[in-house]
Amino acid sequence: MPDLAGQIRAAARELLAAGEVAAVLGFAPGPLPMTTRPFAARTPAEADRLTWNGFCVMNPANLLPEILAAVEPPRGPKDPPPEGPLPKVAVVATGCWSRNIVVQIQEGRVRRERLVILGIPSRGMIDRRKVLRRVGGREIRRVEEGAHELRVEGPGLHETIPRWEVVRDNCRTCVHPTPVVYDRLLAEPVERTGVDRYAQVAEIEAMTPEDRWAWFRREIAPCLRCYACRNVCPLCYCPTCFVDDSRPQWVGKSLDPADTALFHLLRAYHCAGRCTDCGACESACPMGIRLRLLTKKLEKDVLELFGTEAGLDPGAPLPLAAFRPDDPDEFLTAGPGGGAGPEGPPPREEEPA
Amino acid sequence: MEAVMTGTAPGQWEPRIVAFLCNWCSYAGADLAGVSRLAYPPSLRIVRVPCSGRVSAEMILDALKAGADGVLVSGCHPGDCHYLQGNLVARRRLSLLKRLLEFVGVEPGRVRLAWISASEGEQFAALAREVTEGVRALGPARRLAKTLPEVRHA
Amino acid sequence: MKLLRLPRQALADWLAALGRDAEVFGPKATAEGPALASLAPGETPDEAPGPPKAPLKTFFFPQPETLAVFSTRRDDPEAHVLRPPRLEAGRRVVLAGVRPCDARSVVLNALPFAGDPYFQARCGATVLIGAACAETCGTCFCRWTGGDPLGTEGLDLLLHPADGGDLLVEVLTAKGEGAAPEAGRPAAAADAEGLAARREASRRAAGRAPDPRPPLAAVDLLALHGAPFWGRVAEPCLNCGACTFLCPTCYCFDIQDETLRGRGRRIRYWDSCMFPLFTRHASGHNPRGAKFQRVRNRFLHKFRYFPDRYGPFSCVGCGRCIRECPVGIDVREVLREMLAFAGRGA
Repeated sequence: MPDLAGQIRAAARELLAAGEVAAVLGFAPGPLPMTTRPFAARTPAEADRLTWNGFCVMNPANLLPEILAAVEPPRGPKDPPPEGPLPKVAVVATGCWSRNIVVQIQEGRVRRERLVILGIPSRGMIDRRKVLRRVGGREIRRVEEGAHELRVEGPGLHETIPRWEVVRDNCRTCVHPTPVVYDRLLAEPVERTGVDRYAQVAEIEAMTPEDRWAWFRREIAPCLRCYACRNVCPLCYCPTCFVDDSRPQWVGKSLDPADTALFHLLRAYHCAGRCTDCGACESACPMGIRLRLLTKKLEKDVLELFGTEAGLDPGAPLPLAAFRPDDPDEFLTAGPGGGAGPEGPPPREEEPA
Repeated sequence: MEAVMTGTAPGQWEPRIVAFLCNWCSYAGADLAGVSRLAYPPSLRIVRVPCSGRVSAEMILDALKAGADGVLVSGCHPGDCHYLQGNLVARRRLSLLKRLLEFVGVEPGRVRLAWISASEGEQFAALAREVTEGVRALGPARRLAKTLPEVRHA
Repeated sequence: MKLLRLPRQALADWLAALGRDAEVFGPKATAEGPALASLAPGETPDEAPGPPKAPLKTFFFPQPETLAVFSTRRDDPEAHVLRPPRLEAGRRVVLAGVRPCDARSVVLNALPFAGDPYFQARCGATVLIGAACAETCGTCFCRWTGGDPLGTEGLDLLLHPADGGDLLVEVLTAKGEGAAPEAGRPAAAADAEGLAARREASRRAAGRAPDPRPPLAAVDLLALHGAPFWGRVAEPCLNCGACTFLCPTCYCFDIQDETLRGRGRRIRYWDSCMFPLFTRHASGHNPRGAKFQRVRNRFLHKFRYFPDRYGPFSCVGCGRCIRECPVGIDVREVLREMLAFAGRGA
């Protein structure tokens, strides 16, 4: 296993010392085992605090626009941007994070020329809830991550867990572990094929509408409406979220089953054709709701209906801002079918809008 | 949205369907059906929108939350959009939304999209009948409808 | 104060007896650790160390609280007349296995809600049965904030493990007296002495934990407000509400009327100072428009504004926010930053 933390630190020191970038956005150790904290190193000395492990689950692309703005020379709200190129920011990026950056480039949120992307082919990040479940919810005071196993320690607790068993669901079904855009690649590219990435979705699709509704209600029942899923998502950057609209008020503010359902449906739907399944929403949820199942369903349908995947090509139009004259008209047929089933036309080439 | 949902006699259940009709084709088609004195069920609550592309997921879900038993979105036929491509974009969006709603257990047939031109009064009446009967077969929508809890007061 | 000795196997029967005219809740073991849940007759609270995931405020400051109900029907002559809900219709609740930190949160929240009939009615209808902490978690820091693992504040009864597998039941209030177990026999003098010795040892241990309250009360507020570390603390923050919604002592709320099909209710629901909407004025101006200002407010409210007004910190050291923060922000680290600043700047 390559020493990725060391490589990130070395690259960060070098880039910062040479003045090539104003900050390097990565991760610092968190306060507890199995936690990390997004961290932007701004000096070569600070670069030593950067780390890398299987618990880097938050998508750093989320903070990227903020860090890019923070390193610009200060100016008033009405002042013109300064002459010449603006300072660059380096960011660590796995496959899904790099695709997310591509979406942000497509949407005009960040500019490629201001980024130095430190590509990291991903081995899969760890779901700390899976680790907790493995030890029956007992307190974990120390975790050591090996190449293929985790050693977990706590009061009266010493266990070795095979790493792959506690890898997050999105990583286990990932087919793009290697970054699609990067300036430096810090490890050998990883290929993953033969993955049934929609198995979880297909399992739900196969249920009756009654069972699907029961599943959905059960899944979102613990929701606190803290909006961690929304705020951790790099794609959720609307200046006013639909949740905060008051005229009309689409979603009630308190815990009502209908309002919570609407929130989750609309949150997922707003990411359709843009979500790269980075799993940050699910990792951030304090209640352990499997939020990805909705976005994964949308990803599957976008691929099935429109033949595109998010974040693979910075030049391509976004699937929901484009169309083809012969897009499927499946909803024109009455009654059941068409909807949740696996049928649908085969993927076709995307035409520009 | 609650305002368009009123007007059902108590007692017997009749489907209440919110229909978002585009100003240029479908609303005119509905008007033609009326002017032509075609009979169709009184279950539609029509909301005139500038274009089917204006209809957002929020609007559809809001209708279901307010207690609509079905939602119909109708716009110009592909190629006829007053804004050239609004209906084509709507088609993509609504296909995805329809599938997502069915994924979480909303019955297929609650949310429909159809193309009706300004000259298609007959077709509009037929669509209204078909959608109403489809929703009637499904029964009242409960799954995304909001209800306020009963609270006893002093 | 009374001390009883209760055979451990009598605990389930006692809770079941209390459950005859009240709903009993307590921590239940789940695959991810203890979680607050309804306890069926025969069930006893899970004894895993640390507080359960959900804060106790869900019982006293529910999400949402109906403040009033009204009609919006045009044919109703009393339309839009607000009527308070019947508070006495509120259910009686027994909370078992309550950790002392969580019990303390009820006392702290009662300070701003002193005149609030809804909060007070729920307190009056609830019996709190504590479980003393024999061990603490790595995220527990109740002693920093004025609490104690064997603390009694806010509790009606407190259970301690005793020799022979029995339990010692401390009866702390009149309400506790009314709910005390019939099977409990008066404890021996040696039991009382043993408990006092444990308390004393716990208090001595507290002497070793940092007490940040005096230095933070003394530091110049404006200087602390302008301290240089807030930007650094806030940088990773997502401004989600996970910390405030899981916090047992965060009590900020908003009020709104909901109407539907001729009926309406006025609800009070949880709000969070992490949300930009929390302070946005009708004009569009937001005095806490930047992320670091919102993060700063959360910590200054807990450790300075609240104590300036009411005395204690608005924090019980339960560690929930540390465990569930998606970006690993640790309130203890922020406290240390504030203390370091107090030592330097004040």
